Amino acid sequence: MILLNIDNQTLVITVVGWLIVFVALIVLIIVFNWVPRLLHLKIKKRSSSTIANHNSQVKGPKYISGDETAAIALALYLYFEEQHDEESNVITIKQIQRRYSPWSSKIYGVRNFTNNLK
Amino acid sequence: MKNRYRKQIIALVSVVILLTFQSVFGWMDVWASGSSASETLSGSALTGLFNGLKNFWNFTGFANFDIRNLIMIFVGLFFIFLAIKFDYEPLLLVPIGVGILIGNVPFLPGYKIGIYEDGSVMNYLYFGVKQGVYPPLIFLGLGAMTDFSSLISNPKLMILGAAAQIGIFATFLGAAAMGFSPQESGAIGIIGGADGPTAIFLSSKLAPHLMGAIAIAAYSYMALVPVIQPPIMKLIVPKKERLIRMKPPRAVSKTEKIVFPILGLLLTTFIAPSAMPLLGMLFFGNILKESGVTERLADTARNALINIVTILLGLTVGASTQADYFLTVDSLKIFGLGALSFMVATAGGLFFARLMNMFLKGENKINPLIGAAGVSAVPDSARVVQNEGLKNDPTNHLLMHAMGPNVSGVIGSAVGAGILLSFLM
Repeated sequence: MILLNIDNQTLVITVVGWLIVFVALIVLIIVFNWVPRLLHLKIKKRSSSTIANHNSQVKGPKYISGDETAAIALALYLYFEEQHDEESNVITIKQIQRRYSPWSSKIYGVRNFTNNLK
Repeated sequence: MKNRYRKQIIALVSVVILLTFQSVFGWMDVWASGSSASETLSGSALTGLFNGLKNFWNFTGFANFDIRNLIMIFVGLFFIFLAIKFDYEPLLLVPIGVGILIGNVPFLPGYKIGIYEDGSVMNYLYFGVKQGVYPPLIFLGLGAMTDFSSLISNPKLMILGAAAQIGIFATFLGAAAMGFSPQESGAIGIIGGADGPTAIFLSSKLAPHLMGAIAIAAYSYMALVPVIQPPIMKLIVPKKERLIRMKPPRAVSKTEKIVFPILGLLLTTFIAPSAMPLLGMLFFGNILKESGVTERLADTARNALINIVTILLGLTVGASTQADYFLTVDSLKIFGLGALSFMVATAGGLFFARLMNMFLKGENKINPLIGAAGVSAVPDSARVVQNEGLKNDPTNHLLMHAMGPNVSGVIGSAVGAGILLSFLM
C-alpha cells in the first residue's frame, strides 16, 4: 500500500462523500424529530375542537408504551387463536372394504431386502 | 450361484453394447464416405469410433480442466458447507455456491455455454446483474419487509448508520493507495457498505470487470459478520458500557409510518439522485407495506419477487466467478480490502456510539454495542448485537434498538453509493 498513490481528488471524495452521508441522515433525523410534533399538533387541534363541540374532556395517554402495545397484541392474538369452529365432538370410524389392486399393493411401496439375504 | 450368473450377464451385455456402438459409428462413417460397406467396414468403423470418442473427449470438462477451476469448485463447496453447517446466510450462500460450481465446470469455449459468452442462457440471466436490474428489485422486497418504526421512534440512532459508512470511504482510500483507479476504488469501497445489492449495483456501473470479486467479497463477509464483529465489539466497548439498558422505544403511529418513506424518498434522493434506483425502490416497497391498501403488492414484493430475484442474482453472481476471470491478484487484494472495510465500519459505528453517549444523559444513554449494527448487513449485524448484549446481561434485549442503526445503515450505504457514482461516473 503506497499512500502517495492517493491524490487530492480521492481525498476530497472521501471527506466530502462521508460528510454528505452524514448530512443526508442528519436531515432525516431533524425532520423526524419534528414530524411527530407536527402530527401531534394536528391531533391536539382536532381533539380540542371535538371537546368544544361535546363540551366534555377526554383524558388519556398521548402515547402508548411498547410494553402496553405488546401486551394488547398478545391478548388479541391469544383471543383470536383460541377461537375454533363449533365441532360435533362425535368421532366415527367407518370400515371401508377395498378390492385388492396391484396399484395400491404394499409390496411395491417397501423395499424387499429378504431376497438379497438368501 | 446367482451372483456368478449376474456377473456373466453384465459382461455379456457390456460386450454387446460396445459392439453396437462400434458398428453404429462404423456404418455412419461408411455412409458419410459413400464407399462400399464390405470394403471399409472394419477400418473406418474403428476410425469413426475413435474420432467420435475424441470429439466427445474434447467437449468434456476433463479435457478442458484447469487447476484454477478445481480451486474455485472447492470455494463453491465451502460456501455451500458454510450455509448448511453453520446457517450463515443460507439464502445467499447456497445459490452463490452452486453458481460457483456451475461457472467453473470446464468447457470448450465458443458454443454459447459460459456466462461470459454472448447468447448463452447464463449470459442472458447475467444481464440483470450487468445492467444493475436485480439490485433495485431486491431493494423493493427489502422495503416491503422492513419496519422502520424503531428508527422513527428514536431518530438520533440514524446517525450511527452514517458513522459506520466510514468503512466505504476508508476502503476507497485503501484501494486507491493499492494502485486501483478511482472508479475501481469506488467500486471496491462499497464493500464497506455491507450491502450485497448496493455493491453489485455500484460495481456494475463503475468497474464491471471487478464485479464478481466485489460481490463475492461483500456477500462472504456479510455471512461472516457473526465471526468478524464480536471481537471488535469486545475490544472497543468496555464491559460496563455493554451493560447499559436502553429505554423501550415509543409506539409509532400509522401516519408516521406512512410519512417516513415518502419524506425519506424525497429527501435522500434530492441529496443523492444517483442512488434513486436503490432508495426509490426501497421506500416504494415500504410505502406498499405501510399504506395498508396494497397488501397484495407488498406481499408479492416481499415474498415471490425477492425470492425469484435472489435466486437469479445469487446464481449468476456465483457463476461470474469463472476461474480465468476471477482468480487474479486483484481479487486477492479486493478480499483483503473487504475484510478491512468490515472491521473499520464496525469500529466506526462503535466509536461513534461511545462518542454520542458523552452528550447523552440518564436514561437517554445508548448501549454502544448497537453502533456495530450501523454497518448494514441486515439483519445479521442486529442479531449479533442482540447476542452480544445477552452474553453480558441475559435480560438486556437490544434487537429492537439495533434495528434502527441497521436500517439506517442500508439508507446510508445507498446514499454513499450514489455519492461515489456521481463523483466517479
